[in-house]
Amino acid sequence: MANLTMKKADVIAVVIVIPICLYVFYESGKWPVPALLGRPFVIPRGVAAFLLATALMLLYRALTGRAFPLEKRLEGADLRRVTGAAVLTFGYLFVVERIGFLGTTFLYALLFAWVLGERRWLRLILFGILVPFVVFAIFSTALHVPLPRGWIEGTLRDHGFALLLR
Amino acid sequence: MVDLHLLLQGFATVLSGYNAVALVMGSFFGIIIGAIPGLTATMGIALLVPFTFGMNPFTGIVMLLGIYTGAIYGGGIASILIKTPGTPAAAATVFDGYPLAQKGLAGKAIGMATIASGIGGTFTALCLTFFAPILANFALRFSAPEYFALAVFGLSVTVTLTGKSPLKGIISGCLGLLIAMVGLDPMGGFPRFTFGTVQLTGGFSFVPMLIGLFALSEGFRQVEVILTAPKVSAVLTNIIPRLRELKECTRTFIRSCIIGLIVGVTPAIGAETACFIGYSEAKRTSKHPELFGTGILEGVAAPQCAENASTGGDLLPMLTLGLPGDAATAVLMGALTIHNLQPGPLLFRDHTDLVHQIFAGMITANVVFVILGLTFARFFAKVINIDRRFLVPLIFIACMVGSYAIGNDIFDMITCVFFGFIGYVMIRYDYPVSPMVLAQILGVMMESNFRRSMAMSQDSLLILVTRPIALTILILAAFTTFTGIRRQRKSLQMEEELAAAAAAAREGRQG
Repeated sequence: MANLTMKKADVIAVVIVIPICLYVFYESGKWPVPALLGRPFVIPRGVAAFLLATALMLLYRALTGRAFPLEKRLEGADLRRVTGAAVLTFGYLFVVERIGFLGTTFLYALLFAWVLGERRWLRLILFGILVPFVVFAIFSTALHVPLPRGWIEGTLRDHGFALLLR
Repeated sequence: MVDLHLLLQGFATVLSGYNAVALVMGSFFGIIIGAIPGLTATMGIALLVPFTFGMNPFTGIVMLLGIYTGAIYGGGIASILIKTPGTPAAAATVFDGYPLAQKGLAGKAIGMATIASGIGGTFTALCLTFFAPILANFALRFSAPEYFALAVFGLSVTVTLTGKSPLKGIISGCLGLLIAMVGLDPMGGFPRFTFGTVQLTGGFSFVPMLIGLFALSEGFRQVEVILTAPKVSAVLTNIIPRLRELKECTRTFIRSCIIGLIVGVTPAIGAETACFIGYSEAKRTSKHPELFGTGILEGVAAPQCAENASTGGDLLPMLTLGLPGDAATAVLMGALTIHNLQPGPLLFRDHTDLVHQIFAGMITANVVFVILGLTFARFFAKVINIDRRFLVPLIFIACMVGSYAIGNDIFDMITCVFFGFIGYVMIRYDYPVSPMVLAQILGVMMESNFRRSMAMSQDSLLILVTRPIALTILILAAFTTFTGIRRQRKSLQMEEELAAAAAAAREGRQG
């Protein structure tokens, strides 16, 4: 995404959209046609055909130099921050069920604030501790929504902290 | 017609116990969301939807109404104090709000913005109360072809009126329609586009997707612009406007109320458009248009009144026809369906008491934010200075945990993050996000009603053009699409000419 001009972005969008449209045509050909319930492929194929035509028009505009100018390029520190946020967030998805909500959110909040430029460690640690416990209290206690436990909470419960976490 | 007895009972329900607390909390949170630049009303509703799961449906709805009206009003606070609109809906408030703050009249400007928003919001809520039952009663005559035509109308308006480029709006809308088709076929019950996965059999969860597209994507955007957040230094005094100042703006209030209502009822455009039209009409009809932009109270009252007057108009088609007026009402509609309430004419027939409670909630929400706005103006002004380095991670965590909370399923969290990132990339490259979301609601409506129409007519498309209401709506859709695209092309041409003229002037100076 870095240093991508609008022209390139439009071309990439079209390259993504075309296989989607072709797949819609391919898959809708395999659907059964129930009696008296209308043909199921009409709307999906109609939408795919319309999308394909629009994408080709966008491609034509991009290739003939009529793409809109990009508001601002994503580069330097901005790019580093967005990449950091994306890596942390996708990483959070992979580990939250294994490590548990409290431990993962502590690390996530702390590192995220650090990525955004906060460098005072006391604030970072306080933020990292407060956020998971407050969110845990709201969801788990007030709204009765169980959050992923993982091994950290399991260990805490095994060692007599069950009352604290209830 | 509206049942006054039920409406009074609705007020009693709104003002009792948890409902009143939820409304005040929602309104308070909404104003904060609105006051912080970058956080929108849609984002606020999307973020708070998961918190309403554990609540009684009406308590949850009234809280969301509080957030919605509060956030639309709150955007004006940042416009006045830091020259940056808190929400896109408050963009026109900057023109006179900030000059007033520079003159040391920030308190007066915020006071006028609050009263004007309250007047606009209450007017539109009353209109909603009186017109919605009539429209719903008329809509009871609709059958599948009429609903198909309505969905086509909503889609055509949405894709052509949002964003810079109609092509990108259409692409976003079509992708939304295809995403809506993932899952079981609405009539045949066989799986479509599920790639053999069990999780996709029921389609993508709507609320995690909404949270991703509207809240998380904005979160990513905030990560990008975090260092440019301005700070408030103004001191607020004389917040409550004088009676004389309000009297001077009476005509502006009336004009902006009507503009806001009409803009709100029109699908796909809402408060963002209403504020500009309200401002430009106030300037055009003023006896002293030259003073607009220099810091006059009328210039604050007009956009603020119009933007809040659009809220009831936005809710009108959503509640009566199941046709969301804009992104915020699409999210509200998602919240209603979570509580097993399907917006549309049948809601008025089967849940008359709840509908009247919603009307009462909407009217009360507009009064509540005025009281909160005037009482805590200094606090809301300080909220703008909140450190984004801590706020942004909080938004991300609330999005992910909120999505997880819907079904205690990690797949919902993945859906939220996936669509959040997609939404961010779309915003960066000028693809409007709203058509994608609106298309998912309207897509389901369009497809199932098309299939029903075909079943009714034994596969004859003529059924869509032989029924007068359906035909009228389809003609209206074609006309709106045509004029929408033409208008956008014209404004783009103007933009290109202006850019070319500016470039030529720059070259001339360099030469």
